[in-house]
Amino acid sequence: MKRLGVLTLPLMTGVLAAQTPAAPAPAARDTSRQLVLGTAIPAAGTLVAVTNATIITATHGTIDKGTVLIRNGKIAAVGKDIAVPAGAQIIDGTGKYVMPGIIDAHSHSSGEAINEGSRSVTAQVRMEDVLREDAIGMYRELAGGVTTLNILHGSANTIGGQNATVKIRWGLPVDSMLFAGAPPGIKFALGENVRQTNVGNIPGRTPRYPRTRMGVEELLRESFTRAREYQAEWKAYEDAKTLRRKDAKNPEAEPVPPKRDLQLDALVEILEGKRLVHAHSYRSDEILMLLKVAKDFGFRIASLQHVLEGYKVADEIAAANTGASTFADNWAYKLEAFDAIPFNAALMAERGVKVSINSDSDERARRLYQEAAKAMKYGGASEEEAIRMITLNAAWQLGVDKLTGSIDVGKDADLAIFNGHPFAPASRVEMTLIDGRVFFDRNKAPTLEYLIELMKRRPRANTTSEGAQ
Amino acid sequence: MRLTPAVRALSLAAAFLAPGAASLRAQSDTWALTNARIQTVTKGVIDKGTILIRKGLIEAVGPAVTIPADARVMDLAGKTVSPSLIDLTSALGLAAPTTGGGGGGGQGGGTQQAQSGPRGVEPERDVARELKVAPGDVKPIRDAGIGVVLVSPSRGLFRGMSALVPLRDSVGEADVIKPQVAMHIGYQGVSGDYPGTLLGVIAYQRQALYDAQRQGVLLDRFRTAPRGIARPEHDPGIDALVPVVRGQKPAFIEASNENEIRRSVRLAKEFNLKATVVGATEGFLALDALAGRQAVVSVNYPQPTATTGWSYRLSQRRALNDSAATASEVQKRLEGNAAALNKAGIKFALATGGTRSSDFLGNVRKAIAAGLPAAVALEALTIRPAEFAGVDQILGSIEAGKIANLVVSNGDLLADSARISTVFVDGIRYAVAPPPARPAGGGNAVAAAQVAGTWTMTLTSPQGPLEITMTLAQSGSTFSGTMTSQMGSMEITGGEISGRIATWTTILQVGGQSITLNYRGEVDGNRMTGSAELGNFGSGTFTAEKKP
Repeated sequence: MKRLGVLTLPLMTGVLAAQTPAAPAPAARDTSRQLVLGTAIPAAGTLVAVTNATIITATHGTIDKGTVLIRNGKIAAVGKDIAVPAGAQIIDGTGKYVMPGIIDAHSHSSGEAINEGSRSVTAQVRMEDVLREDAIGMYRELAGGVTTLNILHGSANTIGGQNATVKIRWGLPVDSMLFAGAPPGIKFALGENVRQTNVGNIPGRTPRYPRTRMGVEELLRESFTRAREYQAEWKAYEDAKTLRRKDAKNPEAEPVPPKRDLQLDALVEILEGKRLVHAHSYRSDEILMLLKVAKDFGFRIASLQHVLEGYKVADEIAAANTGASTFADNWAYKLEAFDAIPFNAALMAERGVKVSINSDSDERARRLYQEAAKAMKYGGASEEEAIRMITLNAAWQLGVDKLTGSIDVGKDADLAIFNGHPFAPASRVEMTLIDGRVFFDRNKAPTLEYLIELMKRRPRANTTSEGAQ
Repeated sequence: MRLTPAVRALSLAAAFLAPGAASLRAQSDTWALTNARIQTVTKGVIDKGTILIRKGLIEAVGPAVTIPADARVMDLAGKTVSPSLIDLTSALGLAAPTTGGGGGGGQGGGTQQAQSGPRGVEPERDVARELKVAPGDVKPIRDAGIGVVLVSPSRGLFRGMSALVPLRDSVGEADVIKPQVAMHIGYQGVSGDYPGTLLGVIAYQRQALYDAQRQGVLLDRFRTAPRGIARPEHDPGIDALVPVVRGQKPAFIEASNENEIRRSVRLAKEFNLKATVVGATEGFLALDALAGRQAVVSVNYPQPTATTGWSYRLSQRRALNDSAATASEVQKRLEGNAAALNKAGIKFALATGGTRSSDFLGNVRKAIAAGLPAAVALEALTIRPAEFAGVDQILGSIEAGKIANLVVSNGDLLADSARISTVFVDGIRYAVAPPPARPAGGGNAVAAAQVAGTWTMTLTSPQGPLEITMTLAQSGSTFSGTMTSQMGSMEITGGEISGRIATWTTILQVGGQSITLNYRGEVDGNRMTGSAELGNFGSGTFTAEKKP
């Protein structure tokens, strides 16, 4: 690409280049992406040290004046007396708080489509197919310390689409945002949205089945019964293939493979425990219904989403080894959301449920740390428990707790660096790292404050042609 | 060599005496184009040479060609002859897409009646069989130097198979150069049914291609030994996709923005398709994905804000006083798309992509100004599209034996000052009148439709019908206004009118997200019909009436 305009250049100066002037900007870097996204693509986190910071680990307490050492994108060491190797990129954490990168277990931020609402079972559709890398909501979330998102299908369908677990590697093509190693998942939904009670009757149009909660359960059972038949059909085919091979003397026609059905493939993966179910739910009766259906068909619900009446059936949820991902204090926006209380998260946690607090909104996702703090205020969750509600517990619900969600050696270096305690009202995120790479730096971000700084710094000769400041 | 006046008079008379055979007569004409500068495209430039045309084909070309006695001579001293251009993105001669929702009102009627014409899910659709081309439709396109177009339906997810059509005044199925050229694939869903959104569209495509893979196996098996095997189900749609998944029939996937391009390449990889990306407006952002593939690049440059994603991207950088600078920088990037692809070694053809024919060459020149070598541009308008359509043996360059499709211009065809005087299609000569003097102060040849006023609109989407009141104010070829419905009131941005086509955008704010809704309508007096891309909500169709 050709040279860029004068104005765009300062925005593209790399984070590294600014801090270690010796490192030249890589020449071959494709600048066309930077123009449109407005931020630099960060250098690889080969050797980075965050020093002298208060480190909230989420698993083994808080470390005062500690160091996190990052090698090749992973946490190599964390503690008080960590030797920093020569040549490491140093991020001075003096006076700062470091916590694990925040995980939003319920997001729609980067979907170019969200609900394939034409049918009530759409297990074949995949959020991965429709992601966009430039959704501004994701950048704002990055600025709120969020590193991982569970991009879910909407709640229009009983069995919705397949989810996409992404890391917000802002500036890179969308394929590079997928979280490698995250198990596949799927969205289920119960109640009013699925029954379409909020959709008026359209003359000349048959209302979509199901119209009642009875119908929702029936549709779930019917779908998994179909999936079992399909599973058996494939097994019979595999068996027939084996049998035919044994009888080589009397050659038989090769059996015809069954028709591959992408919807049933996904449902079979659920039956086989390979695909995690994230189920939109509100009322305790429908929660019990879903847990029963899952038990009858021998699979586990990985997380109940919203689950505003979860506190009523916390023991049952815990016994099913199911997580709960809820709002801190958002309710009464529809009939089935009336029986909610702000103590929900803490009460469920107390009964042994792995609880996370999610956003389901581009706006709330920017300040999940404040949402988590409410679990301490209401219900008295411990500080570490509240931190886990937006980190490790969410990671567990998404099946990535071995990879991220806490500051432990061997995990991905996904970190949020705050200028104060994350739960203090005036704190804000200074820097967000994913795999040890600085994807957000408030001092370099194209925020209004930063642009004003740039204007002040710009030599006069360049400004004259564009008008007075 | 010249014909004697008597012979000329005789041949003219013959033409008048047999008007019914005019086209055949014209085609059998023998022409000698002499003293011309010839851009052969494949064999370099001949500074002064002759092209001999007989029976619609190029019989000979070179600096020294013997001119036979029966040839009509056209002395082209000082003029340049190039192969006529090939546009792989045309909808010529196809009925406008049916706008789903039947009559409004809503009383009676089942769910089925809404859809009558093609829904965009007809892989078996064969465009050659439904061509209805009016001479008046052909001329403006041909006057831009285009001799052949690939006609394909412009909406849907499996749109059907295209036909390569010569731009003669009267052209029908029998004239088609090649039917069933490629399977055309896109990303629009079906209004009010599955697949309604991008999610469903891609899932549907994937399932259909798996079905086609299996169908291929079953058909083969049945053909080899039909006895004792259940016969494969006959499904014209799936059958039409069998050669596509076998990599025998090209797949033309319409993909404009970066993410669409990446999606189309992923689909091509998953099924090993012989894929061509069509549109590729943001190809320069997906050079890595396009590497080793081929593209049909549209020169219909969007306004930065009218393209998916750009409004987001720009909004980040629009702080303080740099919005104009940024927009013009982005505009330059869009125009430099072909140059970037060329630099990356990606094979591409250039195409109108819906540009008005009168703007087509002007837009190609913008690509050249942005760094695309003119020679590459000419190839991308001639031999490359011929290759992509599988007809480079007979089209796309000036060589003996190829179809006599030529453009005569004064000066280099792609130079700024070039003017086209004649176009040959199948050896038939068509004169190009100089463009009419434009009214002072510029303006379009076709008067912009008048849309100012209050409209009542019914929008049919996967969510069902929605009644909207639209109030518009027009200024020349742009308009602004509001759309009000039970979902609230939204302001119209980027309202533009080109002839009878009105396009505009609104931004819907839902749950902390902004969703861009793009509308395109055809205005017919006080009525308007069209389609809408509704972001997360899929796509829809609308009808609107202006209140008297």
